[in-house]
Amino acid sequence: MHDAQMDYYGTRLATCSSDRSVKIFDVRNGGQILIADLRGHEGPVWQVAWAHPMYGNILASCSYDRKVIIWKEENGTWEKTHEHTGHDSSVNSVCWAPHDYGLILACGSSDGAISLLTYTGEGQWEVKKINNAHTIGCNAVSWAPAVVPGSLIDQPSGQKPNYIKKFASGGCDNLVKLWKEEEDGQWKEEQKLEAHSDWVRDVAWAPSIGLPTSTIASCSQDGRVFIWTCDDASGNTWSPKLLHKFNDVVWHVSWSITANILAVSGGDNKVTLWKESVDGQWVCISDVNKGQGSVSTSVTEGQQNEQ
Amino acid sequence: MEELDGEPTVTLIPGVNSSKKQMCFDWGPGEMLVCETSFNKKEKSETVPGCPFIYIIRKDVDVYSQILRKLFNESHGIFVGLQRIEEELTGKSRKAQLVRVSKNYRSVIRACMEEMHQVATGPLLLHLLDWVRLHVCEVDNLLADVLGSENPRKHESFWKLVTILVLQGRLDEARQMLSKEADSSPTSAGMCRILGDLMRTMPVLSPGTTQTLTELELKWQHWHEECERHLQDGTFASSPHLESLCKIMLGDEAALLEQKELLNNWYHFLVTRLLYSHPTVKPIDLHFYAQSSLDLFLGGESSPEPLDNILMAAFEFDIHQVIKECSIALSNWWFVAHLTDLLDHCKLLQSHNLYFGSNMREFLLLEYASGLFAHHSLWQLGVDYFDYCPELGRVSLELHIERIPLSTEQKALKVLRICEQRQMTEQVRSICKILAMKAVRNNRLGSALSWSIRAKDAAFATLVSDRFLRDYCERGCFSDLDLIDNLGPAMMLSDRLTFLGKYREFHRLYGEKRFVDAASLLLSLMTSQIAPRSFWMTLLTDALPLLEQKQVIFSAEQTYELMRCLEDLTSGRPVHGEPDAQRLQDDDIETTKVEMLRLALARNLARAIIKEGSLEGS
Repeated sequence: MHDAQMDYYGTRLATCSSDRSVKIFDVRNGGQILIADLRGHEGPVWQVAWAHPMYGNILASCSYDRKVIIWKEENGTWEKTHEHTGHDSSVNSVCWAPHDYGLILACGSSDGAISLLTYTGEGQWEVKKINNAHTIGCNAVSWAPAVVPGSLIDQPSGQKPNYIKKFASGGCDNLVKLWKEEEDGQWKEEQKLEAHSDWVRDVAWAPSIGLPTSTIASCSQDGRVFIWTCDDASGNTWSPKLLHKFNDVVWHVSWSITANILAVSGGDNKVTLWKESVDGQWVCISDVNKGQGSVSTSVTEGQQNEQ
Repeated sequence: MEELDGEPTVTLIPGVNSSKKQMCFDWGPGEMLVCETSFNKKEKSETVPGCPFIYIIRKDVDVYSQILRKLFNESHGIFVGLQRIEEELTGKSRKAQLVRVSKNYRSVIRACMEEMHQVATGPLLLHLLDWVRLHVCEVDNLLADVLGSENPRKHESFWKLVTILVLQGRLDEARQMLSKEADSSPTSAGMCRILGDLMRTMPVLSPGTTQTLTELELKWQHWHEECERHLQDGTFASSPHLESLCKIMLGDEAALLEQKELLNNWYHFLVTRLLYSHPTVKPIDLHFYAQSSLDLFLGGESSPEPLDNILMAAFEFDIHQVIKECSIALSNWWFVAHLTDLLDHCKLLQSHNLYFGSNMREFLLLEYASGLFAHHSLWQLGVDYFDYCPELGRVSLELHIERIPLSTEQKALKVLRICEQRQMTEQVRSICKILAMKAVRNNRLGSALSWSIRAKDAAFATLVSDRFLRDYCERGCFSDLDLIDNLGPAMMLSDRLTFLGKYREFHRLYGEKRFVDAASLLLSLMTSQIAPRSFWMTLLTDALPLLEQKQVIFSAEQTYELMRCLEDLTSGRPVHGEPDAQRLQDDDIETTKVEMLRLALARNLARAIIKEGSLEGS
């Protein structure tokens, strides 16, 4: 298994693995019922991502086979609704944009490109590609939360407010890059965040808590996790703070839904939870360790690798 | 990284194979998923998993406890009440109110603990439970037991009971017991009476007396000396029980420590010790005695437990320390959050400024409320707590409330009402959209439409209206007529919706035989561009029966308009994107229709001209 993701409400779980399958479970009330076993990829599946429930039950998956598949539940059955084959190499990461923007999926690939799929209706998807986003490859993409510009001014009903769409990406060039959509619909590199000395494995843009600051977490092969903050509304000056240097690769960082806890999983086989303290320092509040011992958790049976 | 006072807690995930396999994780709305992955940096990826399970980790498990649920519910009521008395009162009446709130909390806690009697609980609470059990319930039970027995003084727990009563300062009851002993045993009668007298005459500070502390102190000294004298004189020498009781009443530390088992914990020891050796102790000296009591009681055998630290901090009146210790020791935020809130209202708290939550009270309330949202019905309590967090409460609520699974329509309505009350328009829109989408998928178009209207979502309303219209074209009738008929001003939400409403109105007018009105409405739908072009053919076809009526309905002017619309439509062909075969067939049907229309229009025009011409004539 490579990845597991809860849906918006925590009632369903999607998992993906080396056996090329994507499985969906119903996990309500501590249960574990396999709802669907989705086959379609021809290589290990790296990541899955749930879209916002207002679009229905939609799941995206990306794989070593260079494909991104979008699955949809229609009348109680899950089916492939779209397949994107625009990459020359493994697709490593998929991330849905904030639902306010519509149904948009960002995909990062080992061919260095990032593609953006936008649903335009009637089963059609429009593709925009950013070539050479990261040299050697892109490992992670993460969208910024939707912020309505000029939200003090009332928008006439029925009109979509003009969002400034942004997302962050991390790549094998050791960089974290911030991208912004221009008025003409093209994506431009807005910022380059340099601090890592090895491949950036994951980026996570923190949910907005109403403050004017923006926060991004990045983790890398070099064992470091950085917290980037930008105080001004224009998004120009980002300053990094080292959360911690681990002894090993850090694979994954993720924010809790109110952004008050950052979870980090690293090569030391632990998942650590971090919180910001009084004076702006980041403190580790918990270690989740693999090992022997009993713990009061509920257990959901995952899948077995079948190869 | 900042230095921590303690190591972060490690949660072990039971896994069979602890070789270097990566763990992956994901956040859920209220919990976390963890599982082993195939990534293995050292060796090639293995195909067989060491641990095939996915674990769900929750941090607010107490939320699911049945007993605590009542506590949460009742304390919620007290909390909200406290927020509301805020600015009304000053001075004494305010203070009285705050004390009352405190008492309310205490009684709620007490009730909860008594309920817990029946159920096994976590280690920390067991301590408190022991306290309650032993020092209140158990003693009373024992008392009843002994008194109720045939021969109380022969009861095996008799002396134990008397000792406990003395330790708790319940001297009247102890005296009662002694008198039983005195009655039945002539040898010890004398001693019992003397001891009983000493018990009776112990000076105590009672509220409402005019006695000053100094006076009390003096009286107490006298009394103490009298007890001492008796002990020295060997009055109780022949009864080890009585002698030990006398020593206790003298506050003799050694004697007290002998009763460790009955005292059960150091704070009981502290209280008894103070009772019998420093009855006029001042609050500021409390911590000194507390520390020494703790040390004496533990006697170097064991180390203080978390609860001990909390109490020590409390005895030192170090509020921040208490809060800190509680936060570390307790398994949920309930206690700290409510305590801090109450202290804040008493203005006893100098708030730290935190990045997250801007002050400690809010920080703790946010933590507590977030935990409540993990529960399928306690989340409603959480809403109120967020309401009273001025800085981040609102945004936290916005983030959490969207994640509540809308399993039933009732729940959805509840959530929506909460959002609407707080003008959380984004959340309302988002939730309505989700419900509308679900309805469309289940083909409940009427429901979908009403949700999109509630969400004020023009785009979706258009989508649903299109579905309605498509359904009409296919089946020749509308579903959910009631809804469409009563749209009212909501019709203006989107053009397509307006069209739907007006089109339905056309049908109604036709049904009521108000043909002229129906006709002008139909025409206006086309000329005002409200009707989508794709629908014009249908509209024109609807016009046919009106054209074929005996009486002339469309005026000449109107007929010209209709003709223009028809020509507009036909000149706009061919439609692209359709496969040829389909198009040919459609064309056939279309051509026939168009011809019929042209004929009907021409005929109508003729009749209209004649009619209008002749009116003037006669």
